[in-house]
Amino acid sequence: MADTTTGRKPVSWRMLDAVDRLVAAAWPRGAHGMNGYLFILPAVALVFILIVGLGYMADYSLHELDLATYRLKDEYSLANYAAFFERPVYLRILGRSLLAAVIVTAVSIVLAFPYAYLMVRTQSAAIRKFLLIALFLPFFIGQVVRAYGWLIILGKEGFINSMATALGLPPLDLIYNYPAVIFGLVQYMLPFAVLLLTPALAAIGEEVELASESLGANWVRTFRHVLIPMATPGLVGASVVVFTLTLTDFAMPQILGGGTSDFIANAIYDSYFRISNLGLGSALSIILVVIGSALVALIFMIAGTGTLGISGRNK
Amino acid sequence: MTGARGKAIVLWGLTALSLVTLSLPTLIIIGASFTSGDIIQFPPDGFSLRWYERLFGLESFKGALLRSFYVSAVCTAIAIPVGTLAALGTVRYRIRFRRALQVYLLLPFTIPLVVSGLGMMIFFGEIRILGSLWPIGLALCVINLPFMIWAVSASVNALDDELENAAANCGAPPVQVFFTVTLPAVMPGVITGALLMFILAFNEFLVSLFLVDSRTVTLPVQIYNSIRSVITPDLAAISVVYILIALAAVWLLDRLVGLEIFLRSK
Repeated sequence: MADTTTGRKPVSWRMLDAVDRLVAAAWPRGAHGMNGYLFILPAVALVFILIVGLGYMADYSLHELDLATYRLKDEYSLANYAAFFERPVYLRILGRSLLAAVIVTAVSIVLAFPYAYLMVRTQSAAIRKFLLIALFLPFFIGQVVRAYGWLIILGKEGFINSMATALGLPPLDLIYNYPAVIFGLVQYMLPFAVLLLTPALAAIGEEVELASESLGANWVRTFRHVLIPMATPGLVGASVVVFTLTLTDFAMPQILGGGTSDFIANAIYDSYFRISNLGLGSALSIILVVIGSALVALIFMIAGTGTLGISGRNK
Repeated sequence: MTGARGKAIVLWGLTALSLVTLSLPTLIIIGASFTSGDIIQFPPDGFSLRWYERLFGLESFKGALLRSFYVSAVCTAIAIPVGTLAALGTVRYRIRFRRALQVYLLLPFTIPLVVSGLGMMIFFGEIRILGSLWPIGLALCVINLPFMIWAVSASVNALDDELENAAANCGAPPVQVFFTVTLPAVMPGVITGALLMFILAFNEFLVSLFLVDSRTVTLPVQIYNSIRSVITPDLAAISVVYILIALAAVWLLDRLVGLEIFLRSK
């Protein structure tokens, strides 16, 4: 409580005043043009940790492993990059990761679009809340736990197989294969896709749909010729995020693939920790960064930056 | 199928498929954690709380859970000031190279997690902080920082700068303006961001996998290490902890800012 009778200000006010005096002394008004830079400096410094890490990996990638000492050789060479192109296993892994990224993106978008549409358009607040909670709950549960859930359901002695055995059916191989990985990834990516699509759909007024329908278009044509083109920014944003997250995923191929469906991230992990070849693992990492960035840049060039574009208020 | 009924059937059909896919692992984990048998099977063996009882006796689990809380708290504590200032700096202030800086600040999302994790493992090893717990919190803050900046930016965009000018006009010095006008105005964004940062750090697996050792193992890595080909219900009981925390986070987010905030068009 401010004690107004003696003219004394509350402690918090006096502290704030003291801080203000300190700041005024240390940071004169003339320097206020630099405020923006000062504010982003800590974030820039934190992100720089990643650049430093990338720098180390770029350096490692240029040194071949010396099999006599199991250390990286001193001289620079491109041997690790050559190994990527010479060993068919790595190209196969790359192909498998890219194919998964395409399939998961397509399936996630097809499932996410109606979900986001109904969430935006429903008249019922209760249904909207239900759809939101059903979306956020798995979003807040990590990949390992969700993969474990699928293991319980699909595993060799899992839920479905014990049900099959109980019914006298032969056990099914539902796990440790490519489709299981794809399935797990779709489940993982769905919340991302819906959350990135929703703002784009919310921006489309309902009257646009009504106009299309009053001109005689049925809902399929309205979706195809009106909604989907207008939602393109959201579709691009969702696709890019789902595509890159799938391309670089580790946990799903590791847990649900069980070594049969390794992605690039798993190959990188194995190079580092199984065969202790830091040079090769780093080269694979740099290749992954380059391919990922190039594909995203390509999508942006063809379709624009979508909702991922940096808007902000430009003053 | 092109009529109104067809539309409802197709859209709700696909959405129902999504709902089942989204919820099935969670529901099955909850169910499995209450079984009285040693393995998970159908039909279930009966109801019991024995796996939860076992959990409370398990020192390795309690240690990992506490470490996960600590790491997530460190991550959130760093993210709140850094992310809030960065959002204000990039959206509100006149700075050169704004676009380039914004692209730079998105690097944690564009660099694959496996690469970020290994890079930080190497760097932390070089400066000899690998093996401590707090660098894991720092690392998780770095990789998720764009979420914090994004959440606060949304609030900053909605803030009228005339309010700050008015406060300054009335004689408030800059720090007072910041704490009494700017910060309360962007608080919904700060809360959303902080909650996201905490829950994502609590769940983060891959980067943690590279940075922990046997003394600093956190819960997601502990679960991963315990997954065997034979599925036992003790892991299900541990996973339920995650489901409860996710439920709490959804409830908090809804109470504090409302989930509908995510439905807004930009």
